Amino acid sequence: MLEGAELYFNVDHGYLEGLVRGCKASLLTQQDYINLVQCETLEDLKIHLQTTDYGNFLANQTNPLTVSKIDTEMRKRLCGEFEYFRNHSLEPLSTFLTYMTCSYMIDNVILLMNGALQKKSVKEILVKCHPLGRFTEMEAVNIAETPSDLFNAILVETPLAPFFQDCMSENALDELNIELLRNKLYKSYLETFYKFCKNHGDVTAEVMCPILEFEADRRAFIITLNSFGTELSKEDRETLYPAFGKLYPEGLRLLAQAEDFDQMKTIADHYEVYKPLFEAIGGNGGKTLEDVFYEREVQMNVLAFNRQFHYGVFYAYVKLKEQEMRNIVWIAECISQRHRTKINSYIPIL
Amino acid sequence: MLGFPQDHTQAPCPRNGRSSPLELVLSTHVEGFHFEPALRGTALLRPGRGCLVVSGPAPVRRDLWRPTASSPPIKRPTEDRLLGHSLPASPRLPALWGRLGPGAGRSWPLPIAPPIREGVSGAGPGREAVPSPVTACWSGAASSGGAAYSPRGSPHRLEWRGRQTLSFCLLIIRSGGQGFGETWTMGSMFRSEEVALVQLFLPTAAAYTCVSRLGELGLVEFRDLNASVSAFQRRFVVDVRRCEELEKTFTFLQEEVQRAGLVLPPPEGRLPAPPPRDLLRIQEETERLAQELRDVRGNQQALRVQLHQLQLHAAVLGQGHSPQLAATHTYGASERTPLLQAPGGPHQDLRVNFVAGAVEPHKAPALERLLWRACRGFLIASFRELERPLEHPVTGEPATWMTFLISYWGEQIGQKIRKITDCFHCHIFPFLEQEEARRAALQQQSQELQEVLGETERFLSQVLGRVQQLLPPAQVQVRKMKAVYLALNQCSMSTTHKCLIAETWCAARDLPALQEALRDSSMEEGVSAVAHRIPSRDMPPTLIRTNRFTASFQGIVDAYGVGRYQEVNPAPYTIVTFPFLFAVMFGDVGHGLLMFLFALAMVLAENRPAMKAAQNEIWQTFFGGRYLLLLMGLFSVYTGFIYNECFSRASSIFPSGWSVAAMANQSGWSDAFLAQHTMLTLDPNVTGVFLGPYPFGIDPIWSLAANHLSFLNSFKMKMSVILGVVHMAFGVVLGVFNHMHFGQRHRLLLETLPELTFLLGLFGYLVFLVIYKWLRVSATNAASAPSILIHFINMFLFSHSPTNRPLYPRQEVVQAMLVVLALAMVPVLLLGTPLHLLHRHRRRRRRPTGRKEDKAGLLGLPDASVNCWGSDEEKAGGLEDEQEAELVPSEVFMHQAIHTIEFCLGCVSNTASYLRLWALSLAHAQLSEVLWAMVMRIGLGLGREVGVAAVVLVPIFATFAVMTVAILLVMEGLSAFLHALRLHWVEFQNKFYSGTGYKLSPFTFAAAED
Repeated sequence: MLEGAELYFNVDHGYLEGLVRGCKASLLTQQDYINLVQCETLEDLKIHLQTTDYGNFLANQTNPLTVSKIDTEMRKRLCGEFEYFRNHSLEPLSTFLTYMTCSYMIDNVILLMNGALQKKSVKEILVKCHPLGRFTEMEAVNIAETPSDLFNAILVETPLAPFFQDCMSENALDELNIELLRNKLYKSYLETFYKFCKNHGDVTAEVMCPILEFEADRRAFIITLNSFGTELSKEDRETLYPAFGKLYPEGLRLLAQAEDFDQMKTIADHYEVYKPLFEAIGGNGGKTLEDVFYEREVQMNVLAFNRQFHYGVFYAYVKLKEQEMRNIVWIAECISQRHRTKINSYIPIL
Repeated sequence: MLGFPQDHTQAPCPRNGRSSPLELVLSTHVEGFHFEPALRGTALLRPGRGCLVVSGPAPVRRDLWRPTASSPPIKRPTEDRLLGHSLPASPRLPALWGRLGPGAGRSWPLPIAPPIREGVSGAGPGREAVPSPVTACWSGAASSGGAAYSPRGSPHRLEWRGRQTLSFCLLIIRSGGQGFGETWTMGSMFRSEEVALVQLFLPTAAAYTCVSRLGELGLVEFRDLNASVSAFQRRFVVDVRRCEELEKTFTFLQEEVQRAGLVLPPPEGRLPAPPPRDLLRIQEETERLAQELRDVRGNQQALRVQLHQLQLHAAVLGQGHSPQLAATHTYGASERTPLLQAPGGPHQDLRVNFVAGAVEPHKAPALERLLWRACRGFLIASFRELERPLEHPVTGEPATWMTFLISYWGEQIGQKIRKITDCFHCHIFPFLEQEEARRAALQQQSQELQEVLGETERFLSQVLGRVQQLLPPAQVQVRKMKAVYLALNQCSMSTTHKCLIAETWCAARDLPALQEALRDSSMEEGVSAVAHRIPSRDMPPTLIRTNRFTASFQGIVDAYGVGRYQEVNPAPYTIVTFPFLFAVMFGDVGHGLLMFLFALAMVLAENRPAMKAAQNEIWQTFFGGRYLLLLMGLFSVYTGFIYNECFSRASSIFPSGWSVAAMANQSGWSDAFLAQHTMLTLDPNVTGVFLGPYPFGIDPIWSLAANHLSFLNSFKMKMSVILGVVHMAFGVVLGVFNHMHFGQRHRLLLETLPELTFLLGLFGYLVFLVIYKWLRVSATNAASAPSILIHFINMFLFSHSPTNRPLYPRQEVVQAMLVVLALAMVPVLLLGTPLHLLHRHRRRRRRPTGRKEDKAGLLGLPDASVNCWGSDEEKAGGLEDEQEAELVPSEVFMHQAIHTIEFCLGCVSNTASYLRLWALSLAHAQLSEVLWAMVMRIGLGLGREVGVAAVVLVPIFATFAVMTVAILLVMEGLSAFLHALRLHWVEFQNKFYSGTGYKLSPFTFAAAED
């Protein structure tokens, strides 16, 4: 790609960038959160959300209001916005947006396969699927019995196809294999996405690469953490780590050998980015590793808006909106379960 | 609690008679309820001759009314003895007592007590009808009620106030014609109307009806008293939510009606906001209707889906019998036959199975590919598009379908195929060999279904008909209801929870109407809502009532900025000056006439509904400004006559003042001379050539002259400066009314006077020079005529040029004096007001409490500043006190310095700015001249023969007409309009108009009724 995005970026993507920045301005503010936290019932929450940019998106919901209804409607809204971006996008932004949906598609496929494994009906699972990752062939996933089956029959035409090169195997799809499949797909996806951004160069690379590197490192940490006490061998574990990021390669090798959380923490201490994060765990408010990672992610995504003429804003907006939705759902859950003590532990969006 | 006489009309007006009857308005207390702020009324009475006409609210029993010095201590009255209670005794209470009969209209003498104390005199502006009311005080002891009346002068004004914290009778005296706002005499167009902050006490039971009545009338603007309370914590949020729920149902019904292709008729008649209990009825009705509609709609939907399925099924079956498929079949079979029939083959017992169904066309290719991939080719699928599209069961739109028939071998493959078709949401139908009979059955079934469907649809249209009837009025009613609750949400609760307190802005003129509305609407509840003025520290909103004529002119002013409260309103002057300045730039009889006729057509047709209903925005703009256009056209005709131009042609209505014949005779122009010279000069000094000025406007002979332009330029330039200086001076003078009104008399001397001196001393003198030269210098001494420009420059340089003859003796002395005087005004302007303010501020501080004490003593109240009379004088005084308390010297100096610099430099630049009048009028004249010369004159010169000329002139005139309208009328008109607008906004209004107010936007249902 040519350097100097500011010269030609606006020709193709100026409108959408303006739009996404406008959307970002409609994220809930700190004051909104303070008001939301004070709500007594979900109806109050609804009334308050009406005063924000959400508008009366819950107006057509029949009573009683439930958290899942709110969640579904919010997802629908986000999906609508995203579809609009996507329909108006030009290359290479449209490819970038497709890459963004891939992670949701992977999640959906895995969800459906898990469902099939547990003999749940497809419809039941479909409700839980993220609308951003919906595709036509998705529901046929359960006819596949092996990963290569899955690839050959169903996913070969979807954007997910390129990510399958590493995970073609004839193993039957049991729970562990599905999980392995998911992680391999993710690894492959992240690597491809990273390569795409890197090749695109310019501001997009400068903004997106750190975000994706963080994402890769986060996955590595989470995989390590989740593999403690499972039958996953250390070699297998290493194959699941995305092969880029701040930890790559030494950190990943060390992580592969880690045996408990403390060892993981010592490894993280070698990196100035992750040291403060691990130190913040369990601090005020009993934060978990997940929480601190979310906070860091929010921070990076907000910073993405400081640069102009790049695609990172789209990624950052969707992630921020997701975080906001998680926050609202958290608050709504706390309200509906009358569990107000933890209501304040949402992730503030700066 | 407060009742006003019902027979308002019978009360004679106190203005005309010697005996000035008063209305005594009785007001009672309900137990536990109390008025916190003051209640006031005013009345006029003549000393010694006062006669009270008593009337009271009908439902309350009127008993004995005997307040005496020895009346018993206050007891809490029971409901039916409301009026029978006594006023608390007080040594300062006038012995006001009498016996009230069981009916209104009794009168008895009013004893006049000696005044307690004389108060401030002087009427507030706008209250000139009351000659110098001297207020005195009367206050109760147990309560803090008080009254004041004037013992001096005739007629007197009696003011009464009560501030009650206990339960006893309350008395308000109110004169018949002299109610709150009726003393208003000044035209409301000149400054914004008096707007009062009115506190409304709405008894909880009657609050809804009161507010709904106010919404119908659109009198008051509610102030939000709960700004700090979030939306869902307000009092009537439940009711608002109910209204919203209902609106949701309405939206559903409306969508259903629209989907059926029907229109909702506009609601008819007056639809007041329904009483709250009616909400239930409306809710029930709409809910029932909605439920019915949902059921029927659901039935219809289900039937349609069923029908759709049947049709698809039939189509799929039909496909199975189509020759094409049969061919594929046989072809496939023949291909495979040898293989299948291989001896001992494992597939010997397998028979071909079928899956048949339909899928949306856009999914078909993906389905086909997936099938092929997943089943590794162990199937034969044939896809065909339906010949005719079927109606979509939900949207009713035609949609095509792809039918498919899959033949396969083996049960496993079959399961896979079923799963895949499931995931593509295909409609799968059983497909067996012997389908002939089945098809016939299907046909019959679908016919039956169609009949049932028709029946359902008939019923549906019945329900929709009922919806059409019910919905529009209910929608309006619920919208109103919601508006009422939203307004009520802005009210605060009284401490006793017996009533709602609202604060509203209301035009003082509308106060009686407000009172009446409140009384009417709270009558049923037996308790009466109360409205009374309270003093306000905030600047009231601006209210200027307009009619259809003045609206567009007011709009011009408001577009710059809504005037500060009671500031001089430039709009009445704009009515004249705007069209005039426009016309100076647009002067042409023909163009003006066209514009006038266009506007006249709009004015004459303004009452036609089609005119108002037009949606076109450009048209609406023109239509809104029709009276403006009318005047602009009219004035343009006038200035056109002055410039003597009609489509750039001069007309000679009167004989020209110049005589060519005289010139020719006197100077003996020979034929040879005439042949040689194309230009001839008329010399006015030759006798008989110049007979005198043309009676009106420019002499038409100038249009033939070669120096036409330089003559007009000189004239128009000087005219622009004269108009500009007059216009600006007028603006400065208007500032006088502001200063007088706001009681800032020092600014008259320290600002207006220096400003006027500066403006008139320099530029007024220029105007004088121009006019003087016009009058004194004639053609005879034109050769040695003095130059005004040189004189004016010399005036500032204090020098003189020997070649330039003075206009009048001792001119230099006068000029030098004027310049010195004007320059001397600058420091006055710069320092006068700040020094004065500082001085006054310091003096105030030396005796800080003097005035306050005065006032407190006057009112006989401890905290007088909170409860002042509410007359403008005192309010202004209060505000001034406030301002002075926060006087920051540097800010005052800075402000004044900016003002001074702006004014002095502005005088120069603004005068120059008025030269745009000259420039624009020049441009207009030249453009129309060019249009005439380049189009019409060429056209007229084209054909010598009549026939040719006639044919040629048609397109040429069409061009001329189109260009005249497009360029000269529309384009030039817009630019002249813009410049006139600028001259008003910048050059004129910055002399006196601040435009920092905000409009009164009353609570009204007008929006809900649309």
